[in-house]
Amino acid sequence: MIAVEGLTKIYGHRRALDAVSFEVPKGEIFGFVGPNGAGKTTTLRILAALLDPTAGRAFIDGADVVQHPDRVHDRLGYMPDFFGVYDQLTAGEYLDFYAACYRQPKLRRRKIADDLLELVGLADRRDQSVDTLSRGMKQRLCLARSLVHDPAVLLLDEPASGLDPRARVEMREILKELQQMGKTIVISSHILPELTELCTMIGIIDHGQLRATGRVQDVIRQLTAGRRLRITVLGQREEAIALLKGLASVREVDVSNGSLEAAFEGDEATAAGILQALIAGGIKVSGFTQLEGGLEAAFLKVTTEGIG
Amino acid sequence: MNRIAVALWNPIVEKEYRSRMRTWRSPAAMTVYILLLGGLGWAIFSSEASSAQNSLNPGQAAGFGQSLFLWLIIFQMVLLAFITPALTAGAISSERERQTMDLLFVTRLPPFSILWGKLLASMSFALLLLLLSVPIFSLVFLFGGIELDQLASAFLVTAVAALTLGIIGSKPVAPPAITYLSPLIPLITIGMNQSISGYGVRNGPFVGSGGYSCSSNNGGPQVCYATAANGAPIGKAFVGQPPSYPPFQQSGTSIPSGLFAGWQYWQASIVEWLVVSAIALVISALLLPPVRRLPWGRRHPSPSLLGETGSGPNA
Repeated sequence: MIAVEGLTKIYGHRRALDAVSFEVPKGEIFGFVGPNGAGKTTTLRILAALLDPTAGRAFIDGADVVQHPDRVHDRLGYMPDFFGVYDQLTAGEYLDFYAACYRQPKLRRRKIADDLLELVGLADRRDQSVDTLSRGMKQRLCLARSLVHDPAVLLLDEPASGLDPRARVEMREILKELQQMGKTIVISSHILPELTELCTMIGIIDHGQLRATGRVQDVIRQLTAGRRLRITVLGQREEAIALLKGLASVREVDVSNGSLEAAFEGDEATAAGILQALIAGGIKVSGFTQLEGGLEAAFLKVTTEGIG
Repeated sequence: MNRIAVALWNPIVEKEYRSRMRTWRSPAAMTVYILLLGGLGWAIFSSEASSAQNSLNPGQAAGFGQSLFLWLIIFQMVLLAFITPALTAGAISSERERQTMDLLFVTRLPPFSILWGKLLASMSFALLLLLLSVPIFSLVFLFGGIELDQLASAFLVTAVAALTLGIIGSKPVAPPAITYLSPLIPLITIGMNQSISGYGVRNGPFVGSGGYSCSSNNGGPQVCYATAANGAPIGKAFVGQPPSYPPFQQSGTSIPSGLFAGWQYWQASIVEWLVVSAIALVISALLLPPVRRLPWGRRHPSPSLLGETGSGPNA
C-alpha cells in the first residue's frame, strides 16, 4: 500500500533523510519511531506530497507522490503534529468544511460529519465551538478530519503527543477500529513502547537512516537480543561469576550495586536454565529478576549508535 | 463552467464569511469606518451648508457637491488603501500561523482556489465597507453637481483599486516591504491631478465662448441647455432661467493621447488596476504551494543522486 524507495532529502548540507526504504502492506499499522529530528516528519510530509524528495521515490497505493500528488491526496488522510483548528467554527462545521474541500457532495457531508464524530466519540460536541474542546478532543477531531474523504491510507504524525493516559487509550481504541475497517495506518512517535502495543509493524529511524524495520516481534527480538538478569547472591560472588561465565547462553557478567548483572541470549526457558544451573552449583540465590525497560534501553542504544 | 464556478466559489469563502462575522472585530471595524467617513462628510457638509445659506445658486451648489464628493471619495480611498492590504495580508498569514495551510494543500482544492477563496473572502469585507458608505455619499445629492453614473464609476474605481491593493498586499506575492508600502500607491496617484479626473468629476476649466441656449413653447416652461463654443449642446437640458455664469466644460475627463487615447480616465485606471491584479494573482498562485511545481519545470529526482545515496553508508 505504501512503498518508499531510497528516499533522500537534503536541506543545505544536512541529510535529513538518507536512502530510507520500507514497505507497508494493506491493513497494517506501521509505527515510525525515532528521536526528535530523526526525519519522521520529513518522511511523512514527503508521503503526503507536501515536500519533494531530493532523491528516491514514494508511492501511496501505486500513485507516485512527485508525479501525481492529486491522486495521492485522494487516497491519503494526513494528520500533522499540530491541531490546525479554526476557532470560530463548531466541530460539525469544521468537518463539513474539510469534507467540502475534498469535494464531497453537500447532501452527504452532514452524514459524514455525524458518522465521524460518532467514531471519535464527539457526537455530543457537534455544535460546540472548536476552541472550547480539550486537547484530547481536538486531537480526535483532527483524526476525524483526516478521514472525511474515506482514505485508504492514514498518516498520523505524533497523534498521542501531549495526551493524558486516558486520552491515549481512547486514541488507541479508535486506531484499532480503523485498522479493522481495512485502513493502512502510519503512526510516528518518539516513544517505542507506546507503539509496540498498537502497531503490527515498526521502523526505527535515526539521523535520517532506517535502523531496523519489520514485524513488531521480529524488531523487538532483534533489539533485545541480549536480555539482562539481575542476580543477587549471598556471598560466593566469585563462584557465581565463574559459573555464569561458563554457561553458553550468558554473554557477559558484571557487578553493579552489589548484585550481578548477566546479559544472556534466549527466552524464558533459558533464564530458568540459568537459575537451575546456579542452584545446582550450590550458589545461594536471594534475588533473580529480569530487567524491565530492556526495550527502551535497546531503543536508545540503537538510536545513538550511528553517531560516532 | 462548473470548474470555474468551483474555483471562484469554494468552501473557503463560506468558512471565512462565517468565522469572520462571528468575531466582534467585524462590526467594530464597520462602525469605526462609518464614523470616520461620516464624520468627515458631516464636517464638510455643515461647513458648506452654512456658507451656502446666504447665497445659493445652482452653480455654487454644484461646486459644493463636487468638493464634498471629492473629499469623501478620496478619504474613502485612503481608508480602504490601508484596510484592504491589512485584511488580505492577514488572510494568508493567519492560515500559516494556525498551521492549517498544509491541511488545505492535502485536500482536493487547487492552490489557486485556496488563494482566491482567501482573497475573495477578505475583499468582500472591503466591498461591504464600500457599500456601507453609500448613505453617506447620498449627502452629495443634496447639493447636486454629481450624477449617478459618476458616483457609480467612482465607486467602481475605488473597488478595483482596493482589490488590486489587496492582491498586491497579500503575503505570498509581496515581500513585506511592499505590503506596508502599498497604501502609498493610491496616495501618490491622488497626489497627481490624474486621479481627480480619474474619478470622473467633470471639473474642467470654464469656457468663455460657450453659453446657454434656451427655447420656450408658447407660455410653457423655458427649457435651456449649455452649449460648447461651436454651439453644440452639452449635458442635460434643464427647465428654468439660464444661470448667470458660464457652464462647466464637460471635457477633461478623457485621455487626450497615448495607449488609452479617447478613453475616460476612470476606464483606463480600472484596466490598469485589473492587469496588475491579474499578474499579481498568477504569481501568488505559483508561489503559494509548499511544493512549487512550476508549469515549465516539473522536477524529477536525478538518477546520479539516486545512485550515490543508494550506495551510501547504511547502518
